[in-house]
Amino acid sequence: MNVLEIHELTRKFGDFVAVDNMNLKVREGEIFGFLGPNGAGKSTTINMISSLLRITKGEILLLGKNITKHSRFAKMNIGIVPQDLAIYEEMTAYENIYFFAGLYGLRGNELKERTAEALEFVGLSDRAKELPKNFSGGMKRRLNIACAIAHKPKLIIMDEPTVGIDPQSRNYILNSVRKLNEMGSTIIYTSHYMEEVEEICSRIAIVDHGKLIAEGTKEQLKSSITDTKDIWISYKSEQPLDTERIRQIPGVTQVLDDEQEQLLRVWSKAEINNLNLILQQLIQNQVEIRSVDEKAATLETVFLTLTGRNLRD
Amino acid sequence: MNNPKIMLETWSIFSRLFLLGFVIWESYFLRKPGSGWSIFVYLIVICFLFAGQVLRKPKPRQAAALLSAGFLAYCAGHFELPLLYLLLPASLTEFAAGMKPKVLGPVLIFVSAWLIPQQVLALYIAAAGISWLGHTLIRVSVEKLGVQNERNETMNADLQRLTKALIENRELARQSEYTIKLEERNRLSQQIHDEIGHSMAGALIQMEASKRLLASNPDKAAELLGNAIAISKEGLEQIRLTLKDMKPKSEEIGINRLRLFVDELSAKQGLAASLTHEGNLDAVTPIQWKVILENATEAVTNTIKYGEADHVHVHVQVLNRLVKAVVADNGKGSDKVVKGLGILGMEERAASLGGTVITDGSNGFSVITLLPTGGQEVPHGAGS
Repeated sequence: MNVLEIHELTRKFGDFVAVDNMNLKVREGEIFGFLGPNGAGKSTTINMISSLLRITKGEILLLGKNITKHSRFAKMNIGIVPQDLAIYEEMTAYENIYFFAGLYGLRGNELKERTAEALEFVGLSDRAKELPKNFSGGMKRRLNIACAIAHKPKLIIMDEPTVGIDPQSRNYILNSVRKLNEMGSTIIYTSHYMEEVEEICSRIAIVDHGKLIAEGTKEQLKSSITDTKDIWISYKSEQPLDTERIRQIPGVTQVLDDEQEQLLRVWSKAEINNLNLILQQLIQNQVEIRSVDEKAATLETVFLTLTGRNLRD
Repeated sequence: MNNPKIMLETWSIFSRLFLLGFVIWESYFLRKPGSGWSIFVYLIVICFLFAGQVLRKPKPRQAAALLSAGFLAYCAGHFELPLLYLLLPASLTEFAAGMKPKVLGPVLIFVSAWLIPQQVLALYIAAAGISWLGHTLIRVSVEKLGVQNERNETMNADLQRLTKALIENRELARQSEYTIKLEERNRLSQQIHDEIGHSMAGALIQMEASKRLLASNPDKAAELLGNAIAISKEGLEQIRLTLKDMKPKSEEIGINRLRLFVDELSAKQGLAASLTHEGNLDAVTPIQWKVILENATEAVTNTIKYGEADHVHVHVQVLNRLVKAVVADNGKGSDKVVKGLGILGMEERAASLGGTVITDGSNGFSVITLLPTGGQEVPHGAGS
């Protein structure tokens, strides 16, 4: 089932087309990555999904219902973690969550329970009574997330939730994204950090200049540009290697042995996982392996190859 | 499209009815109860009012207006209904509307002001001002509408012309494709006739001869048969060669056309152009080459028109499941790309093959056409 469907979505600012005829489907239970450089139209799309921006053309369906016509339904079922922090510094962490969850329509005991759960979830229970202005950047981000998830929305949208925070908080946030997903939420995650997207997202859309350029699992995206991986194995051995045996390993297309540099390069089909077999073969021949480096395509190279530019230009 | 005109006419009727209503109210209720004649006069005035709108042609319309003015002036004097003078300007303006000097209306109104009794003079001038303004407003609006309609028509004509050109171009493309096919077929049949046909005939004669000699001179027959076999072999080889020769590799048509295009650019436009490619060009189908070539032409047209560039580079790269064609210039680029017909056309062509076009103006201007090829699909992950 599709939690979110976007049909021919377009947003113009004057002559400038920020989002250009975008078509997308986000299925239930996915962590859907939205990858693109700054200014690619990610936030514009997110803002339209969350009804903050009017749609110039096209439609957005949440759980099959048009969000423009069923805006209350949409707001109840979407949780937004905005790019810019949306918390009140003069209210305690608890009050912040209580306030936002109240806005989504929770009342009474349920409101209190959910607030406590959300605090627990982001690991801020022991700081509940403190004011966010004394929090670190990472803690503020976590509170920001808690405010968006207390009402248990079907779809959680996270717009660059890891910008400008320390690695520890970042890991914490990535883990909580996974946990939220395991608990049944569908998640849309936007970022221009391709490592993050690659790590946690089950399906990814690459956007640039407001256009959807490619979409699929990370394997599909990578295989769209190449089906070959390039493995560099530096070794130490007195005798020359038996490259013929390695060549016969399934998937291997080409083998090149640089005896002087003691470097073996193996080209292989990317989708076949044969690194173990290759290394086994070398070890059997009493070759000492110094390092292994697999130069497979990354999402960064996918983006670079497709658009000719870096993600962080 | 006539709606505004009708609206304005209705407005004019109602404004005058309103004025008439005012006159009736003033003279009937506030001054003195009128005689039976006054009601008759009012009804006639209403008739004149509608007559002006019912008559379509300008001449009778003016006549009606003039008649109405005369009638008003007469009745105002005769029945002592001075307020009727207030309706005079509207009729006069309508009468003067079609006449040449545009000031005729105001002049008539001004002149007739001398006829007006002192007590209603101020009101008369106000009413004159209002009806003159109203009329001018209507005239100006109708004129504007005319201009808009005219523009609309020229644009429609343009659209038709362009559509026609488009259809003609399509026809031309189809025609040239057909011509090329025809040429190929002719060449093929010519070659079959010239070479293979002759050797087949030769072999046949030798075989016939050998059949006759088989009984009387078996040695000679064997020799002839040997000849026939040799000729047939040669013929077979020739068939192979001909077919190989005939069938151009699809990539050669594509990349060579593109190369020709790039060379022509350098030669004719004085724009330094280069072409590179990587990957296996076999994977690109002729229809994809067509889109690549057309998009390249369009992109280069943009470069020449707006780019202020002195170099343009075309790069075709065949990836695993995509073919990417880049046209990049070193011109001034553009911060915000405003899509014109050119870019829309490129997008449409690419979309027809399931591809996309990426334009980027941040560093010179580049247009990337991405088209999916029938490369290998990854088996795992596809269903997730």
